[in-house]
Amino acid sequence: MTPSETIPDKIPDTPMFDRRRANAGYALNKMAMGLSSPEGRAAFLADEDAYLDRFKITPEQRAAVKARDWAEMVRLGGNLFYILKISAVDPTPIREIGAAQAGLSLQEFLETRLGKVTNG
Amino acid sequence: MAELLAGLGTSHVPSIAAALDKGLRDSAEWKPFFDGYTVAQDWVAARKPDIAVVVYNDHGNSVFLDRVPTLALGVADEYRPADEGWGPRAVPDFPGAADFAWHLADCMVEGHFDPMICRELDVDHGLQVPMELIFGRPEVWPVRVVPILVNTIQYPIPTPQRMWDLGILLRRAIESYPGDEKIIVMGTGGLSHQLQGARAGFINPEADRAWIDRIGADPARYRAMSREDYVEEFGSEGAELIMWLVMRGCMDAQVNTLHRHYFAPASMTGAGMVLLENAA
Repeated sequence: MTPSETIPDKIPDTPMFDRRRANAGYALNKMAMGLSSPEGRAAFLADEDAYLDRFKITPEQRAAVKARDWAEMVRLGGNLFYILKISAVDPTPIREIGAAQAGLSLQEFLETRLGKVTNG
Repeated sequence: MAELLAGLGTSHVPSIAAALDKGLRDSAEWKPFFDGYTVAQDWVAARKPDIAVVVYNDHGNSVFLDRVPTLALGVADEYRPADEGWGPRAVPDFPGAADFAWHLADCMVEGHFDPMICRELDVDHGLQVPMELIFGRPEVWPVRVVPILVNTIQYPIPTPQRMWDLGILLRRAIESYPGDEKIIVMGTGGLSHQLQGARAGFINPEADRAWIDRIGADPARYRAMSREDYVEEFGSEGAELIMWLVMRGCMDAQVNTLHRHYFAPASMTGAGMVLLENAA
């Protein structure tokens, strides 16, 4: 059980990156930070499991990374600014990452959250 | 003494950089955003500042969670663009104003602000994008930069009031600097956006427009708000707006808002700018 499961967010659905989350997610964010070098990106692409083995992430965090489950990564202490680097290696638009966390289709997300007016 | 020419507040959304890199400046989606900056670009170009103090946050590109400075100050002669996961962007290195930066370091510590002093620092979109929005894509940047980094990612982040007070100190540093440089101060980040959690995609154009309208003429409310107020009103990453308070605190009480611009959404963010000049 992670601390973020035990104390509700003060602002609903808004995970403040405080000491609880920073502690829970440290290894996960460190793994993602490793992708800011060409060597880290090459290692991740060559053998994702071997790359993940370098870090003390939990089995839950590993599963979330492998599933590219953004909401789950954040729930487990991931911070978007770090885990976004996964989307540079395995391209995923930021709006899709937003929609996935909101539990909406991309189209619904664009319309209801960002007020995009689209035709057809 | 050096001269404070103007204060600018502006967004630093990474998608702005991506749009420029992909040649989308004049696309239907982006043209209205970029066109809103031309008045400020022309105003700044005509006055030829020597130094830009850029207040921004690193987004987990040069600063990891192993050591998080609440405030950091660049004193380098040169700053390279950071690798944010796609390799460093093809923008020129940023020349630093090291002498003024060291003067500012002295002033900050004597004034009881204690920044981490950075001699080598790769700068991410938080600094790159404001520079591109104001100076375009030159072969060589026409100003030297002084980066001031603020932690806005891991709590505790500094308070809005602290940002304002840093602005007051920055003004004293500018006016006590024994040179004749002309300086602009850029407060960057925002406007409303949230990247994390089930409220991801939250934007608040009404609050953003009020901010753009009032930050020059009537900023007292924003100085008094708590950090949580910022998160609630502008989103978890919209709290970056506290960095505009350094710029605003640096200016006189009475300012002229020479230009304002707002556009939403830029990617997932309310985006825009103000250009302020002291009224006297």
